[in-house]
Amino acid sequence: MGLVPWYDGRDGMYSWIWRHLPGNGWVRALISLVLITVVVYVLFQYVFPWAEPLLPFNDVTVDNQ
Amino acid sequence: MRSSVKGRGNVAATADDTAQHTHASPPPRGRRRLGPVAMVISFFGEMLITAGVVLGLFVVYSLWWTNVVADRAADRQADKVRDSWAQEPEGAGRDAPAVYDSKNGIGFLHVPTMSDDDILVEKGTSMKVLNDGVAGYYTDPVKATLPTSGKKGNFSLAAHRDGHGAKFHGIHKIKKGDPIVFETKDTWFVYKVYGILPETSKYNVGVLGKVPEESGREKAGHYITLTTCTPIYTSKYRYVVWGELVRKEKVDENRTPPEELR
Repeated sequence: MGLVPWYDGRDGMYSWIWRHLPGNGWVRALISLVLITVVVYVLFQYVFPWAEPLLPFNDVTVDNQ
Repeated sequence: MRSSVKGRGNVAATADDTAQHTHASPPPRGRRRLGPVAMVISFFGEMLITAGVVLGLFVVYSLWWTNVVADRAADRQADKVRDSWAQEPEGAGRDAPAVYDSKNGIGFLHVPTMSDDDILVEKGTSMKVLNDGVAGYYTDPVKATLPTSGKKGNFSLAAHRDGHGAKFHGIHKIKKGDPIVFETKDTWFVYKVYGILPETSKYNVGVLGKVPEESGREKAGHYITLTTCTPIYTSKYRYVVWGELVRKEKVDENRTPPEELR
C-alpha cells in the first residue's frame, strides 16, 4: 500500500483531494481556491511568524550570544 | 482499495465530458496502479513540489507581507507619538524620555541619504519591537545613551535590513559626512556620519561602546550608531554606521526641519 492512507498508488494527494471534492469542475475549482486561500492564510498568519525567528535571516543586532 | 466506481466516474467527467457519454460502462484505464518504486518516487515528487511552493510563499512573506504589516504598525504608532506631542502642554517635562510611553517611541530618525521615511525609534532591539517597522535603541548588551539625556555616550540603534519594514535597507547608501537627524518633541539632534564599518561579526559588541573605538574615536562624545545585518537578505554579518553630534536645534512652532533635511 501507499506511504499514507490517501496514497493508493493511482495518483498523488492533490488528485485525491480533487476527486473527493463535491460538485462539477467549476464548483471544485472554486472550493480548491478557497482551500488554497485558507492554507496561505494559515501559513502567513501562524506558520511563517513561528518559523521566522528560528531561521537565520533576520538578526540585525550585535550581541554576545 | 479506494478506486470506487464513483471516484473514477468523476475523474472521467472532469477529464473529458464527451468521453463519459460514449463509453460509460468500462471505466477508463488512464490511471494504472504504479509499482512500489514509482510510487515512492511520485510521492516524494509531490512533496518536493509542495515544499517548493511553501518556500516560495515564505519568500513572498518575508520580503513583502512583513513590510505591509510592519509599515501599518509603524504608521499607527508614529501617529500616536505625533498626536501625543501635539497635545502635551509645552514644557511639560521636556527632553525627559520618561514622559513618553516607551512603547510609543521616543522620536524619529531621519537619514535622507538612506530613505525618505522618518523612522520611529522605540526602546529595545527585540524582534517583537523591531518587527513593527521601527528602529530600536539598544538596552542590551550595551545600553544606549539617549540624546535627550544630555549625557555623553552612544545612541546605538538597530533596525531590519529586509522585511518588517526594512527601515535600514539602504544603509549602504550612507556616506561619510551625510547627516543623520534625530527628532524629538522639542529638539532636532543633527549628527554627521564619520565612520562606516561595512562588515563585522555579529558578536562585535564593541561597536556599541560609549566610545566606539573601532570608529577611530577615543574621547567621550555624543555618538550615534546604526546597526543592521549585511549582506542584503542574510544575517551573516553586521553593518555599522557611526555619527557624531554636530548641533542641536530647537523645534519651532511649524516643526521646520533643519537645513540637512530640506
